[in-house]
Amino acid sequence: MASLLFYILGFIMLTATLLCITRRNPVHAVIYLVVGFFALALMFYLLGAPLVAAWEVIVYAGAIMVLFLFIIMMLGLAPQELPEGPNWHRWGPLVLLSSSLMACTLLLIFQDPAATEIIGTYYLAPQELGEALFGRYALAVEVVSFQLLFASIGAYMLGRSLPKEDDES
Amino acid sequence: MLDSYLPILTLIIIALCFSIGSVVFSRLIGEKRMTELKMSPYECGMPPVGSARERFSVKFYIIAMLFIVFDIEVVFMYPWAVMFKRLGLFGFMEMGVFILILLVGYAYVWKKGALEWE
Repeated sequence: MASLLFYILGFIMLTATLLCITRRNPVHAVIYLVVGFFALALMFYLLGAPLVAAWEVIVYAGAIMVLFLFIIMMLGLAPQELPEGPNWHRWGPLVLLSSSLMACTLLLIFQDPAATEIIGTYYLAPQELGEALFGRYALAVEVVSFQLLFASIGAYMLGRSLPKEDDES
Repeated sequence: MLDSYLPILTLIIIALCFSIGSVVFSRLIGEKRMTELKMSPYECGMPPVGSARERFSVKFYIIAMLFIVFDIEVVFMYPWAVMFKRLGLFGFMEMGVFILILLVGYAYVWKKGALEWE
């Protein structure tokens, strides 16, 4: 069961990523990328790393996606007229991919709620990761905190509105 | 075996109740004074009519970047929270320092007025 799901998820992920890099419309590309991220998250779950799967959704599909959206917002895309006629070939693949992804998720939840059947060799419980992260690698976590501090101040410095020149004179 | 998903179901139900409840109760209890501005369609931070394919204000950028930073912060709280009791005081202090360092940055950008829209 798990290995079959692995191949299905792999197919979904590859198709979504392929569609992502071939789309002309950047917004469509981003949506396919999100589908790819979700498939990857389920794959991590199957491999026995549920916390990494959750992070994949929170960080990649949630936060990194904001970066992509922001680039699209800054691009200043040329106005585009809506295409005429049936456009099922635009949304069809997306609906197919995301609904099969949904089916895979539900199958995983109802077939194997405790995640006993994994294809990885080791099941990494979130507790174990927490113990390592906040025990042995405690210093690294604090360093990450500093990195995030730099990131937030750096973002402010880059995006701040400079005082107008004529205000000084 | 599905009962391991019970907390998630509880969370979904609470979230549903909260979101429906806040709309319903504010409609029942709240004061209703219709103004033109209130009844016009709302879109965050921009006039809702016109092309969506414009360049957006850089003000969105700071908010988005700060969102990412604090999203990563929350990510570290999950493995900490599941081990909260075992990690004890050391883990608590550690998370305290972690949050304190980030709060410095938060206080700085707040003080600088980066969170204000105007």
